[in-house]
Amino acid sequence: MAILETVNSGRPIRRIGLPRALLHYRYGALWETFFQELGYETIVSGPTTKAILEAGDRASIDEACLASKVYLGHVAQIADEVDAFFIPSLASVDHRKGFCTKFQSLPDMVDNTFRDQKLDIISLSIDDATDEKRTQTAYLDMATRLGALKSHAKKAYKKAVTAQAAADEARAAHLAETVSLVEKYRKVAAGHVQEEKQVPPLILIVAHPYIAHDRYISGDIEDAIERSGGVIAFADEHDHAKALKRSYGFSETLPWLINRELAGATLELADVIDGIVSVSAFPCGPDSLFTDALMRRVGNVPLLHLTIDAQSGSAGVQTRIESFIDILRFKKEGGYLDA
Amino acid sequence: MLKDFRIRTGAVIADGAQAFRGTSDKEQKKRFKRDRHKTKKVAVFRYAYYAPAFKYFAEQVLDCDYLALPQATRRTMELGIQHSADDVCTPFKHMMGDWIEALEGGADVLVQVGGPCRLGFYGEMQEEILRSLGYDFTMLNFSHGIEQGYVGWAKEVMKTVNPDINVPHGVKQLLACGSMMTKLDEARDLYMANAGFETERGSYRRAWEALLDAFSLCQTPKEIDIAFGSFMDRARSIKLDKPEHPIRIGIIGEMYTAIDMASNLDLDEKLMAMGVEVHRMLNFTNRYTRYNEPNLRRSISDYVAFDMGPTTTLTVAAAKRYAEEGFDGLVHAKCAGCTPEIDAIPVIRRVAEDYKIPVLYLTYDTETSDTGLMTRLEAFYDMLAMKKEASLR
Repeated sequence: MAILETVNSGRPIRRIGLPRALLHYRYGALWETFFQELGYETIVSGPTTKAILEAGDRASIDEACLASKVYLGHVAQIADEVDAFFIPSLASVDHRKGFCTKFQSLPDMVDNTFRDQKLDIISLSIDDATDEKRTQTAYLDMATRLGALKSHAKKAYKKAVTAQAAADEARAAHLAETVSLVEKYRKVAAGHVQEEKQVPPLILIVAHPYIAHDRYISGDIEDAIERSGGVIAFADEHDHAKALKRSYGFSETLPWLINRELAGATLELADVIDGIVSVSAFPCGPDSLFTDALMRRVGNVPLLHLTIDAQSGSAGVQTRIESFIDILRFKKEGGYLDA
Repeated sequence: MLKDFRIRTGAVIADGAQAFRGTSDKEQKKRFKRDRHKTKKVAVFRYAYYAPAFKYFAEQVLDCDYLALPQATRRTMELGIQHSADDVCTPFKHMMGDWIEALEGGADVLVQVGGPCRLGFYGEMQEEILRSLGYDFTMLNFSHGIEQGYVGWAKEVMKTVNPDINVPHGVKQLLACGSMMTKLDEARDLYMANAGFETERGSYRRAWEALLDAFSLCQTPKEIDIAFGSFMDRARSIKLDKPEHPIRIGIIGEMYTAIDMASNLDLDEKLMAMGVEVHRMLNFTNRYTRYNEPNLRRSISDYVAFDMGPTTTLTVAAAKRYAEEGFDGLVHAKCAGCTPEIDAIPVIRRVAEDYKIPVLYLTYDTETSDTGLMTRLEAFYDMLAMKKEASLR
């Protein structure tokens, strides 16, 4: 059994590996700070590369989603450098704030996939990620299992939560700044026909954070939007708590926390954005339904959906983004009679 | 008081006062009970062999009429494909086809179950798609009220379908409905283990279909017991010609596709027809009625530490148990894009390696062909048969 219940006395753990994939983009600051404060060295894998994706592809079941393949690639990338990996299991006890089952199965999936390499995995199970108390207990229990003093673990966790909150706030501030800059531009240009045309369209990227912020996966899309003169805002950067609250107006039974945050953020920003580009990794379980819901429910905001798989080339993306932004511009100028 | 009664029962004014005065207390009670019934037609999606239990649920628990759906056809599938997102998992498409055919057939209420994966969001999306197509209906979606469990679901039923349900009676009938599902599973297990070896072809099938018919007519727990008893009696008297070491295959996989014959293209029947003893631990009984995930997971603690998903523990536990018991092979059946079962595959591979048991992995989508499946199953069977022959020699 490679998932560690207690400290394996034969093998001291000093360096803990954190694959830069999946929920690392959401909870990375928390995880890094927590282990560092407990006295470990954390090793985060580098940005996704072609080699990483290929390694992940080889280790994976064909049908697994791109994001999952990328994760396994990151595990393979740093397997030799670390003493153990930290891979949590996020279950969905709350039917409205759960995760894709991928995040529940991840530690066991990685363990079985790399059984021959005998990876050591440190893990914990989080029932409900929005329940702060129970989440804290899970982290403290894990630290105690690793041999930390409870008081020490508590301090470390507190620092970790603060670090994560700071990271989240910085992202939310970045989003707010982007939006306010575009709005300022619009205000200045208002009433002047020529200037109004030059206001860049504000494009909201609606995608899981591990898609939106992994340059290897969605970098082409972002570059294409910027080359076409668009300004990008990321839905996942929005204040999570506010977005979650707002999402109940989008759907009552949507089961996934991250999709809820994306939906809530989209509703919050619907009045200021010009268009939405939603991006999914192929084949994304939650997005297969969520994108359909988004298309039906965002109302008047034009939406372009892109699915990325391991074989996606950048040329197709470029053309589609260009024409989408052309349409937005045309629409703004009142180009379509009924638009 | 008199007026009050009429309003509550909705009794017709014309046969009012006189008729009422002339009835005894007992008759009054009876009439009150009869009036709880709603003539709404309730439809449930097609799912495996559970239709008699769904009928029992609609009639005895919801106290409404039941709308039975005929066998699914190619058209059902096409309707489903047409009105579903491309990359959604296949059961969604099957169900969309079912709903449209049910509504065309006169259904007023559609019952969607909800569940721990994407299934939890099926109801809301399907309702929205159907409404946008212009259909008028009520959806009883058990994804609502799930926070409060049974109480929440009861409230949901009263709110959306029938406010006059006699709750204690309904609960009793719900338990009976559960017992019918358990008995269906038990009967099917016996069928799958033996039908491949009957001396008179079709005997098991006839007994099984008679059971489904009998269950469809049941109204009380006692009738369920009697129907089941006569099936077991009949099934046990069917003559078998079973070799000492038959080929045994365990079907594992995802909750919908591995069981539902329209989705898996009669996977179990095809195996039985080749003369295989078929086992399938995955069914309603083992996943719901008797499901104790943490305890079941103890049996696979060499492989997994956590609950990996809706049916993953059951899938892996079944795989390991079949392997330990010396089965000849495993068939893993799932729909395209089923994330939890995709993540179970690395674990099944380890079990297969350790116990040296062959596994056939089947992924079903809306384009899976019957002939293609047959070819793969035959090849798998031949391989197992040769292996078996060599080992027995």
